[in-house]
Amino acid sequence: MGKLKVAFVGNPNVGKTALINAIAGTKLKVGNWPGVTVEKKEATVKVDGKELYLVDLPGVYSLSPFTIEERITRDFLLKERPDVIVNVVDSTNLERNLYLTTQILELGIPTVIALNVWDEFRSLGYSLNLDKFEELLGVKAVPTVATKGEGVKELLRLITEEEIPIPKPPTYSQDLEYFIKKVEPYVPKGMPKRWTSLKILEEDELILKELSDKSAQAVKGILRELESFFGESGNSVVAEERYGFIRGVLKQTLREPVGKKRTLTDVLDAIFLNRLLGIPTFLLIIYLVFKLTFDGSGPLIDWTDGFINDFVAKWVSAAISGLPEWLQSLIVDGIIGGVGTVLTFVPLLLFLYFFLALLEESGYMARAAFVMDRLMRVIGLPGKSFVPMIIGFGCNVPAIYATRTLESERDRKLTALLVPFMSCGARLPIYALFTAVFFKEHQAEVVFSMYVIGIVVAATVGVLLKKFFFKGSAEAFVMELPPYRIPTLKMLWTSISVKLGAFLKKAGTVITATMVLLWALINVPYGAPPKDTILGKTASAIAPLFYPTGIKSWEPVAALIPGTIAKEVVVGALGQLYGVGEDEEEGEEKSSFTQDLKEQVVGFGQAVKDSFVAMFGSFKTGVFEVESEEGPVSKAISKAFTPLSAFSYMVLCLLWIPCIVTLGAIYQEFGTRLTLASITLTTIVPYVVSTLVYVGGRLIGIN
Amino acid sequence: MKLSELKVGQRAKVVRVKSNPELSRKLRAMGLIKGEVITVEKVAPLGDPIEIRVKGTKLSLRKKEAENVEVEVI
Repeated sequence: MGKLKVAFVGNPNVGKTALINAIAGTKLKVGNWPGVTVEKKEATVKVDGKELYLVDLPGVYSLSPFTIEERITRDFLLKERPDVIVNVVDSTNLERNLYLTTQILELGIPTVIALNVWDEFRSLGYSLNLDKFEELLGVKAVPTVATKGEGVKELLRLITEEEIPIPKPPTYSQDLEYFIKKVEPYVPKGMPKRWTSLKILEEDELILKELSDKSAQAVKGILRELESFFGESGNSVVAEERYGFIRGVLKQTLREPVGKKRTLTDVLDAIFLNRLLGIPTFLLIIYLVFKLTFDGSGPLIDWTDGFINDFVAKWVSAAISGLPEWLQSLIVDGIIGGVGTVLTFVPLLLFLYFFLALLEESGYMARAAFVMDRLMRVIGLPGKSFVPMIIGFGCNVPAIYATRTLESERDRKLTALLVPFMSCGARLPIYALFTAVFFKEHQAEVVFSMYVIGIVVAATVGVLLKKFFFKGSAEAFVMELPPYRIPTLKMLWTSISVKLGAFLKKAGTVITATMVLLWALINVPYGAPPKDTILGKTASAIAPLFYPTGIKSWEPVAALIPGTIAKEVVVGALGQLYGVGEDEEEGEEKSSFTQDLKEQVVGFGQAVKDSFVAMFGSFKTGVFEVESEEGPVSKAISKAFTPLSAFSYMVLCLLWIPCIVTLGAIYQEFGTRLTLASITLTTIVPYVVSTLVYVGGRLIGIN
Repeated sequence: MKLSELKVGQRAKVVRVKSNPELSRKLRAMGLIKGEVITVEKVAPLGDPIEIRVKGTKLSLRKKEAENVEVEVI
């Protein structure tokens, strides 16, 4: 026998992923479903010599799709026809969860029910007559506690050892059964009969579309007959009958505790959803996530950076000193530099993924959406997209990954397009350089204005994009607020490690390749003065295009390109292009390899310590500290810019194409089309805004 | 009366869900069917959305969507 295809289906937040985690562990692979940005989790495992292919289908409440995610689940079940369905249900909320079950049972696919969060079910005082429950539903049911791995063995035993029968579908009232029989002949070939009949009666558009004209005509007649018989739509009748069936089953099997206790969820919601406290606590939580992520990862990022540039690069240089100079530069600056850039993001993403997973798995993220919904709707985004936007102020890269937490693909894409307008920390050195020269008296205000401009531009672009490109009704906001649950470290770790792996593999390769390409732009022909490199020549040629923004020379235009390596590189690039770059720090102290290695190890220990101090030492975050240095670059730009053109250039740098790593992240998450869209958007928008700034400034007499 | 018009703490019985078939199917899947008793639990800090309890679930929906649910206060 070949691989057994096992699909995990259930409502959102019932612990499907945790259950797959418990079975597959690190074998879990995360990718996207073809053509969409919906996360696909799958794993192949061997149990007792049998190969199982496990796939986690997006959480759904019914098999009539409302979102892309729900459509994936339905299509998978109908077209791929898994060998076994594991229907994961939240035992503490059986009535609502079994609504989906009734539809699964009609598919004619062998099914097992996993009664998850069984521990909570018991401690809340519920009890279930399992034998009777299995008998009435016609399927096997296994109590599980996915987070602790309980019941997993039994579940696997069932799947691998027993012949799981095809369940018998629920029976409904005689009246409804009459109509089911009546539409059955019109079910298209290859579709499960009973399931499809009921979907027809539910007026499921996707099914109705598949009927031939003749069948559609006949079905319409039947639906009209049903409506006049019951006095309400088929959609409504079927839903009531399904819930009626469930109530019948639960009445005979479930004993509910008498007198509902006030749960932890109620207590926490009294604070988190409070009319007065809701928003302040949300802001506080987001601030803490922001601070802990960036301040905590900071020292580790510096260490990684040092490890690559001072240690790896140094010793590789030493080893290849016999090669031609250009090749050395390509290897050290291009390739090692590129890999280094990717690796420096590992600590940052590690921290971010940890806190995001914590917010998500604990159930708080749904509350954030609830609290912020009204405000974010102004720019046509759901409340949750506030989180990636804020993360964007620290760094755009994790912000792109944070869009994963949004429910709909439309929202994810729109948010990802707006994130690059959030002024990240790497743009600060640019502001520091220019404000120190041109706005000495109002440095803080000018820097602050950059943040405000970024937000205003994002909001405006958001409204425009929504109007012209993301048309159609914004998705309805019918969302469950799941009970708060404490996530296990194992779950958090799986989530983090799987995502980090994906970043290194998919984004990492693209980023490194692009970095090598950029190296070539800046260094070919090798050894030529900046003006004669590919970059210099191209920049000189297109510089006139930038006149309306107030930039009258080619150097600042050229600096934008290395600026895509990382925004702060603009500063160094300007220095080099103006020919005033600091001399390379030659004459390093001689040290042996082992000495250096020891230093790196000690340095790592110190970095870990610093990380703790940075996170918990003070309440303030260091992300927005502006360090300005006076240097030869300052002199060069004081001649090349006026205050107005400097301001315009700062705006240009703020809104200009995000760094390669951000683009790599967009590519990894959303593919080529959206990456190109983002590049287009972040060239047109900054050009227009900078021109407005410059021309507007001139009109009111500023220079 | 519409669900969107209820005040925090009020209990009501669902009379009818009336909107486009997609949304009504969604609302019904979440438990908003005829005769179901629901409670309005909270209103978001900025006045919208609202949170209701239905079939042991906390459900949040915008007022615009809640307008589609006709209820009867009990």
